[in-house]
Amino acid sequence: MLPLVLNKSDLGAWIEALAAQRRVAAPVLKETSPADRTDLKFGWEYIADPAEVRLDYTVTVLGPKKFLWPARQTVMSYQIGADPRPTAVLDHEPHVLFGVHPCDVTAIQTLDAAFSKDIADPHYLARRADTAIVSIDCAAPCDETCFCLDMGSLYPEAGYDVMLTPEGNRFFVEVKTPLGEALVEKAKVRPATKQDMQARQKFAEEKRGNFHFQLPFEVKYLPEILDASYDSLVWEAIARRCFACGSCNTTCPTCYCWDVDDDVAVDLTKGCRVRRYDSCQLDPFAEVAGGENFRKDRSSRLRHRMFRKGKYILDQTGRSGCVGCGRCERACVADISIKETFIQIAGSR
Amino acid sequence: MARPVLMFDSLSCCEGCGLQVINCETDLLPILAAADIGRFREASDGDVPHYNVAFVEGSIVTSHDIEKIQEIRAKTDILVALGACATHGGVNMLKNFQDPDDVARYVYGERRAWVPHIPARPQKAEVKVDAEIPGCPLNPAEFLEAATCLLMGKPFRLPNYPVCVDCKLADNVCLWHKGVPCLGIVTRAGCKPYLCPSAGHKCIGCRGLVDKPNTQAAKDVMAEFGLTVQDVLREFRLFQGIYDEVSKEA
Repeated sequence: MLPLVLNKSDLGAWIEALAAQRRVAAPVLKETSPADRTDLKFGWEYIADPAEVRLDYTVTVLGPKKFLWPARQTVMSYQIGADPRPTAVLDHEPHVLFGVHPCDVTAIQTLDAAFSKDIADPHYLARRADTAIVSIDCAAPCDETCFCLDMGSLYPEAGYDVMLTPEGNRFFVEVKTPLGEALVEKAKVRPATKQDMQARQKFAEEKRGNFHFQLPFEVKYLPEILDASYDSLVWEAIARRCFACGSCNTTCPTCYCWDVDDDVAVDLTKGCRVRRYDSCQLDPFAEVAGGENFRKDRSSRLRHRMFRKGKYILDQTGRSGCVGCGRCERACVADISIKETFIQIAGSR
Repeated sequence: MARPVLMFDSLSCCEGCGLQVINCETDLLPILAAADIGRFREASDGDVPHYNVAFVEGSIVTSHDIEKIQEIRAKTDILVALGACATHGGVNMLKNFQDPDDVARYVYGERRAWVPHIPARPQKAEVKVDAEIPGCPLNPAEFLEAATCLLMGKPFRLPNYPVCVDCKLADNVCLWHKGVPCLGIVTRAGCKPYLCPSAGHKCIGCRGLVDKPNTQAAKDVMAEFGLTVQDVLREFRLFQGIYDEVSKEA
């Protein structure tokens, strides 16, 4: 499809038109620090009004993953008694994730791969099939925790239906899929002119210049670097500061571990089987029947997470378990940084 | 199976946890349909000689409380401690860090000699407690879950992870990052949907510590944050005076 342009003033009307067909989830402003008015906190929500959408957002605690893979999800309902009638619950509706950053687009591709391999996960895939993704390109890193350039998530080749690139008072609109074409039909777009394309080029050059940070090693060697570090004392040293609070997992856009509980009604006539996020950093994660725990120490759990993010998920799905979004570091009260940890183990081999 | 007989009673406390049970309102009806209430101090008169399950709130702060909890223990098959006072001693533990004579003077006044006051302690310090539902006050959802487990004959387990998990899932911006030291990092979760940080208030640790808190990391992080040992102890002693790390003099 030819390159298109949407004036920023026409964005609201487009979102309004999309909202008539799908629920729209987008980044919104959640709070402003009373001490510093420029310190804005954004979050992902289903919106009621296009004016809420903040495509100039930076970081969010939770990413758009929560719309595809809710923290708590009923997967089955049943009756208690002779006739249990178990019924699978597939809970989904058409929605559009509007304004997904490239790192989260890449993370969703990892989730797609993880939930499709071996036994495909019908709950995730039903929601995913009902999801449209409009991505918004980043002109600069959200903050100093990002290392998306290294983790290959700054320039996603796929995983979105439409990509918007903000430049001045317009967005460049790149349509990637037939679904994207259908979405853009509702937008007041026009073909890009030569001047538009020059501005697009300028954006790309500035973007490249704004992402300064680079790991001191090539990321393709990360699995090997991790392998060589398995018995390193680094893990214990870092874990001294770890609360094992699971905030890194809870906020990670690619973590997909879950646990299952039964939620039984107090009158004991019926129940639901519910799955919820689990976290490999929590003490009971690797506890098995009989009370044995094969990852008792915080250090072994911390090492496990770093291996999942840098190696295991890649080995299993072909896609990286870390997209360099910086959420885990930002969420950590003890300032444990996955980026710094990778650098440290690379240097201590 | 015969209908189980339940009882609800209170030791030294504000009886807020008993009120929280009553606040379950219509959610209590299935329990009332399946069980009899032998005694409920906060809601009705009367008593019976034997209970299958006793839910008792409150901590022990006088020798009368010891006698009472021993009597209840002797009359019940299962004892469930309800709320922070019952499970951890609650705010009553604050008196253990003060001069006992001063406390008696300002709490009981002229008639302090009438009250056989002793250092505060949770129920498990005096009798065997079979299950605990912590919190100040207890979370009604957790009480209902425990009651359901009892009716099903299934073990009731408290979450063994810190408040941070549920707080992050509520999409809250971390209070530490807003300059507020919050005890959620080492406090046992289970309070949702009544998470204090969701209302902008720091966690004050009313549910006690998780099973294996990293107290070393907590000390380091708080020190880096500019808090003194005295500040840290003051934060923790409100609800967690029961733990060695907190009760020891700095």
